[in-house]
Amino acid sequence: MSRFAAKHTTALDDSLKDESYQHGFAFSTDQYKHIIKPGLNEHVVREISHIKNEPEWMLKLRLEALKQFEAKPTPTWGGNLSEINYDQIRYYLRPTDRQEKSWADVPKEIQETFDRIGVPEAEKKYLAGVKMQYDSEVVYGSLKKTWEKDGVIFLSMDEGLAKYPDLVREYFGKLIPSGDNKFAALNTAVWSGGSFVYVPKGVEVKMPLQTYFRINAPNAGQFERTLIIVDEGAKVHYEEGCTAPSFSSNSLHSAVVEIFVKKGARCQYTTIQNWYKNIYNLVTKRARVEEEGEMIWTDFNMGSKLTMKYPGFLLVGKGARGETLSMALAGSGQHQDTGSKAFHLAPHTSSIIISKSISKNGGRTSYRGLVHVAPNAYDSKNTVICDALLLDPQSRSDTYPTDRILNSQVQIQHEATVSKIGEEQLFYLMSRGLTEEMARKMIVNGFIDDVVKKLPLEYAVEMNRLIDHEMEGSVG
Amino acid sequence: MTAAEAPTLAAIQIHENERREIVLEKPGTYHIELIGPGAHANIHGAFLTTGKDECEVNLYILHKAPHTSAQTTLKGVAKDHSHIRFFGRIGIAPNCPNTQSFLEERVLLLSDNAKAETIPELEILSDDVKCSHAASISRIPEEHLFYLQSRGLTPQVAENLVVEGFLEKQ
Repeated sequence: MSRFAAKHTTALDDSLKDESYQHGFAFSTDQYKHIIKPGLNEHVVREISHIKNEPEWMLKLRLEALKQFEAKPTPTWGGNLSEINYDQIRYYLRPTDRQEKSWADVPKEIQETFDRIGVPEAEKKYLAGVKMQYDSEVVYGSLKKTWEKDGVIFLSMDEGLAKYPDLVREYFGKLIPSGDNKFAALNTAVWSGGSFVYVPKGVEVKMPLQTYFRINAPNAGQFERTLIIVDEGAKVHYEEGCTAPSFSSNSLHSAVVEIFVKKGARCQYTTIQNWYKNIYNLVTKRARVEEEGEMIWTDFNMGSKLTMKYPGFLLVGKGARGETLSMALAGSGQHQDTGSKAFHLAPHTSSIIISKSISKNGGRTSYRGLVHVAPNAYDSKNTVICDALLLDPQSRSDTYPTDRILNSQVQIQHEATVSKIGEEQLFYLMSRGLTEEMARKMIVNGFIDDVVKKLPLEYAVEMNRLIDHEMEGSVG
Repeated sequence: MTAAEAPTLAAIQIHENERREIVLEKPGTYHIELIGPGAHANIHGAFLTTGKDECEVNLYILHKAPHTSAQTTLKGVAKDHSHIRFFGRIGIAPNCPNTQSFLEERVLLLSDNAKAETIPELEILSDDVKCSHAASISRIPEEHLFYLQSRGLTPQVAENLVVEGFLEKQ
C-alpha cells in the first residue's frame, strides 16, 4: 500500500499542505441551540441532565461523579495536565434541535465542515450507516435497514438512554465506574453524546459501524460516552475517526468507552485520533471479554497536544483473547502517552500488544503498559512489542512497561527498541535513485506497516497520506 | 530527568574510555552513570529466591556522554512463595549520540506461588541511539525437563541443571 500512497501525496489538496490550516475551519457557534456558560458546578450538571430529560438515577450518578471529580487529585505520573483550566471549558453544546433524517437536512455549514475534513470519500459509501458527532450531539444518523432487521441497535448514547433505559442501566458505568480515575469521574458527571451499540446473539455486523467525532466550538469539552454490548457469538467492528479545526485556547476531550464482549463474541474498535494540536485527549477505554471472546483495539494517535489513553481488556473467561495495536506520532509540542493494559483473570487467556511510535521535531512519545496475570490464570500468554523511531535529536521516546505475574504457568514476553532512521538504510535507498525525503517516508511507512495493514483499506490509505503529510519537509 | 535519576552517593561512575564489569551481588538500588565518551559497562545480576524471600532490584543506567554503551542482564529464579521484582531504567540524556544500551530481564518461576514483576523502562532524549530492552517471565519449558529426564535424570536434578545453566553468566 505504501508504494501507492506516496503518489497520493503529490495530488493532495493544497489546503491540506498548509500547516496553519490543518483540517478545516472553525465556524461560529452563534446558531447553537444550547451553550452552557463555561465552568463546572452542580448547577451545570443538573442543567445538562434537565435539558436531556434524563431519569433520576442518571442525575444521581452524575452528581456523585462530580463530587469524585472534585475530590480526586490531578494525576502527575504521566503528561503535564497542570495547564488545564476547568473553569474555561463549556460542558455542553447542542448545535441543532433534532436528529437530522437525511444528509440534505444537515445544516449547510456543518456539511461544509465535514467536507473539509477530507475523508468523505471513505465514508460516502457508508453514509447511510454513518453517525457523525458534531460537537456534543449526533447530527446525522440513519441505520441501514438490514441492521434494524437483525436487531442491531446503533444510537447516540442519549437516544439509547431514552429508548433502552433498562439495558443502559444494567451496563452503564459497570466496567469503568466514575471513581476509576479523575477523568472518568468528569466524563460521568457531564457526558453527552457518544454511541450506544447492542449486537444481539449470533449477529455478525459485516459493515463497520462508523462515527466521526468532531469538536467545533472554542473551549468545547467533548465528553462522549460509548457503550458497546456484543452478545454471545456476535461480531462487530466499530470505527471512530477524529479531526478538529484549530483553536487558540486549549480544549479538553475526555471520553469513556465501555465494551462488553460476551461468550464467543468478537469486537474490534478502531480509533483514528487527529485532534488539533491544542487539545487534551484524556480517554478511558476498557473491555470485558468472556469465554472464547475476542477484543481488538486499533488505536492511532496523531493529533492533540497531550493524549493519555491506555485501552485495556479484562480477560475474564477461559480462552479469552485481547489484542492492542497502537500507533503514535508526536510532532512539535506534542506528547503521546499511550499504551495498553491487559488483565488475565482466567485460564488459557492470551493477549498481544504491539506499539509503534514516531517522534519528530521535539515531540515526545511514551509507551505505558501493564500486564497483570492473576493466580488462577494458568496457561496464559502475553507478548508486548514496542518499537520507537526518533527522527531528530530534540525528540524523546519513553517506554514504561510493567509485567505483574502471579502465576508460574505462563509465557510473558516484552520487547522494546528505540532507534533512528539508519544512515545505511537511507544510503541504500538514495543509491537506488530516491530523494532523501522519499526514502525517509518509505522507511517510516515500512516501520508502521504491520499495524497499518490491519486497518480497513480506506483508513490505511488515509493513514499513509497523513504520515506522508506529517513527514513533509522533515529532512533537516 | 526525574528525581529518581538524580545522582546519589551510591552512584557508580564510569569515565572516559573505561570498560567496567559490574556484578550485582545483592538486591537493592543501583545507579550506574556513564559520564565520559567511550565508557562501557557490562552489568550482570543473578538472583535465586526461596521460601518467603522478597527480592527487589532497582537499577538505573544513565548515559550522560556520547559514544557510551552498556549491556545489562538481570536474571531471577523464584521458588516457593518468593517474589522477584526487577525495575530497570535506561536513561539517555540529550546530546548523547552514538549510544547503545541493552537491558534484559529474565525470570523463571518454579512454583505456582512464586510471583514476579518486571519493569524495564526506557527514557530516550537523543536520537542517534540503539536502545532496546526485553523481559520474559515463564516456567521451565516442559520439553527441556522431558529431554533431561529421558537421559536418566530425576525431575529434581533436571530442574537444578536448567536453573544452573540459566543463571550462569554468559
